[in-house]
Amino acid sequence: MKKKLLIIPFISFLLVSLTFFYLLLIERNPSELPSNLLNKNVPTFETETLLKREKFISSKEFGNEKILVNFFATWCKPCRDEHIFIKRLSSEKKIRIIGINYKDNPKKAIQWLKNLGNPYSNIIVDKKGRIAIDWGVYGIPETFVINSKGIIKYRHVGPLTKKTSKKIEMLIQQIE
Amino acid sequence: MMLKKIFVIIVYIFLILLFSNISNAVEPEEILKNQKQELRARKISKNIRCLVCQNQSIDESNAPLAKDLRILIRNQIKNGEKDEDIYKFLTDRYGDFILLNPPLKSSTIVLWFFPFIFFLVGIFIVFFHNKKSNRI
Repeated sequence: MKKKLLIIPFISFLLVSLTFFYLLLIERNPSELPSNLLNKNVPTFETETLLKREKFISSKEFGNEKILVNFFATWCKPCRDEHIFIKRLSSEKKIRIIGINYKDNPKKAIQWLKNLGNPYSNIIVDKKGRIAIDWGVYGIPETFVINSKGIIKYRHVGPLTKKTSKKIEMLIQQIE
Repeated sequence: MMLKKIFVIIVYIFLILLFSNISNAVEPEEILKNQKQELRARKISKNIRCLVCQNQSIDESNAPLAKDLRILIRNQIKNGEKDEDIYKFLTDRYGDFILLNPPLKSSTIVLWFFPFIFFLVGIFIVFFHNKKSNRI
């Protein structure tokens, strides 16, 4: 009886190591959090655009067509890395792309877009980061896909990669 | 001699604990003039996770987002909002993960009650073992 019981620690050790091994194998970013805004309406906010300093009212813009929202800033290095993927999505013209310039210097942002190219149909300003809090943003770059009813369908934290931008492309075709 | 040394070490540890309690990331200009309101803000922000550093509260974190949230909480308190409203505001945007003290829900029942179940199992095993070996 006692000898048989000795196998229990061994089996539990094996189970624990298997779990750890599985968690190592799957591609998983432990700092990435689930969004609480998925399948919910876009937050409402008002701000101005970066280039023309026009008023931007969210309720007028969202809910008519599919929109991709990208939080970026010139001081954020990963934003520069993902810029090529945003441009690629923009050139396919399947979705409107709105950039939200997060806690940035407007002059620098305009120069940055001149140098790297501007894939955005609108760039709006979030000077103090208050809009980002309403979107549940905790680390830029972050990207959201919104359907034509103004509901958030997807959120990606961190720079877009080849893989994630492919995923977004597929998603754009699937959603209404 | 030995005892005295241990006593001195224990006193030091207590002193360190006493003063480390003061260390937080709240900057002087953030602090509210109304002490009661400030204490409420401190109490709330000690229970709000900094999502950038994840194992610190926003009260301890120097991250810019933590600072923004600290100021936001203080502004809401100044506007006369209740603690529940502030917690709801934050969990609506960031989910329950932002709370360092998870709420009791159907999805967190395992988290809350497993320690007690393990405790009971432990007692049972110890008791069973002792009975067999005829020792207490």
